[in-house]
Formats: sequence, C-alpha cells, structure tokens
Amino acid sequence: MQQKFRRSLDELKNIVAFTDRFFAAEEIDPAIRYIVDLCVEELFVNTVTYNTETQADILVEMYPHEHGVEASLTDFDVERFDPRDIELPNVDAPLEQRTPGGLGLYLVLKMVDSIHYEYRNRTSKITFIAERKQADVPDR
Amino acid sequence: MFQIVDGESGVVVLEGRLDASQAPRAQEFLDRLEDDCVLDLSKLDYISSAGLGVLLKTHKRLVGRGRRLRLVNVNRHINDIFTYSGFDKLFEIEASSVPRRE
Repeated sequence: MQQKFRRSLDELKNIVAFTDRFFAAEEIDPAIRYIVDLCVEELFVNTVTYNTETQADILVEMYPHEHGVEASLTDFDVERFDPRDIELPNVDAPLEQRTPGGLGLYLVLKMVDSIHYEYRNRTSKITFIAERKQADVPDR
Repeated sequence: MFQIVDGESGVVVLEGRLDASQAPRAQEFLDRLEDDCVLDLSKLDYISSAGLGVLLKTHKRLVGRGRRLRLVNVNRHINDIFTYSGFDKLFEIEASSVPRRE
C-alpha cells in the first residue's frame, strides 16, 4: 500500500489514517503499531524539517513482512541524508545536560529491527522493518 | 486528536496523540505552569520525540525553579519510549496499573 503526502506536519493525521487502513487490510498485529507510527512520524518529520529545498510530496509505502511490517519513505529531488550516520544523543546524561530535540532518529534506530538507506538520482529512500518481537520491553 | 486540560487537584490530563503537529499546543499549555505539577497520562495513547521535547523543556524549567513535574498512569508503550530516551532517570514516573489498549 502506498500514498503520497504533502510536506506538512498537518499530514500526520492522514498518515495515521493511512496506517489504520494498512493494518486493517493486511491484518497486521496491532502490537507493533506503536513502533510503526513512531518511526514513520519521526522519519517524516525529519524529512519535512530538513529537506527544505524541494516541494515534492513524500511517498510512504507499507507492506507486510513475515511477522511485521516493511515501511519506507521516499523523498524526491533532495540531497543525501542517511539517518544511520547521525550523532546519537547521550540518553544517560543528567537533566542539566539534556536538551529537547535529537531523540527522533535515535528512537527509530533503537526500535526497528533493521533499517536500509538508498540514494539514487537525487531520490532518498529510507526503509525499515518492524517485527513482533521488538514490541516487547526495551533493552536500552 | 489531542487534548490537554486541567483536571482535579492541580493534575493536568493529556489525552490522545501527542505528535509533532500537537506539540506546540501542549508546550503553550505547559508553559503556564508555575508550581509542582502532576501530568496524568492515563488517556495518552501516543507520544513521539516532539512530545518528549515538550516534557523535557517543561521539566527543566520547573526544576530550575525548585519545582517538580511528576508523570503518572503511564501506559507500557509510552513507558518503553521513556526508557529508551533515558527519561526514566530524569522524571518521577508512575506506571499505569491498568492494561493498555491495543
């Protein structure tokens, strides 16, 4: 299942509705819904926030994958950005050293089972797989 | 759908989905807090990093004034996010005793 979304945070509610339809149509285990919602939002928001040189819609795709979901976000006519290359925040730092921001992609990298990045002809595609076992209690 | 309202006894109740599109509204509400505060998250279904940023900013501001912010009735999904983010070491958190909705 796939759908394009405008580059606006107002589209988040439409992405949730799209995900609702996908989970229902494919009878995906609702236990992984939170992970899928969170990772899609974080990747979408990061794309909207930082890839500002284009006005092209963002393509969101979701497919069943064994015990879970394979989801991808494709952004067109943009520079390369591999989320796996980010500097990770120190989540063990004391309160006075913590600052808002920087947790989104960190959470994606921690919560998905695998993540893949492709960049070709100025098209950036991030794909992740979330499976049932990851819905259990985190091991930070 | 996201709601943030004053509850009973100074408790602030958050409800629904606190995502990046709703974070500014939550921040505007929480910026008005001046004293010790309890946030009841029993009706909060979802929080993303944008919502975490709102909680962290509010917590730091209140602690800087010698006040405290407590998070209660946290469901398992959100508690997991707090653990991943290290918030379990920064906040007073009380998990929900009620099974979460799937």
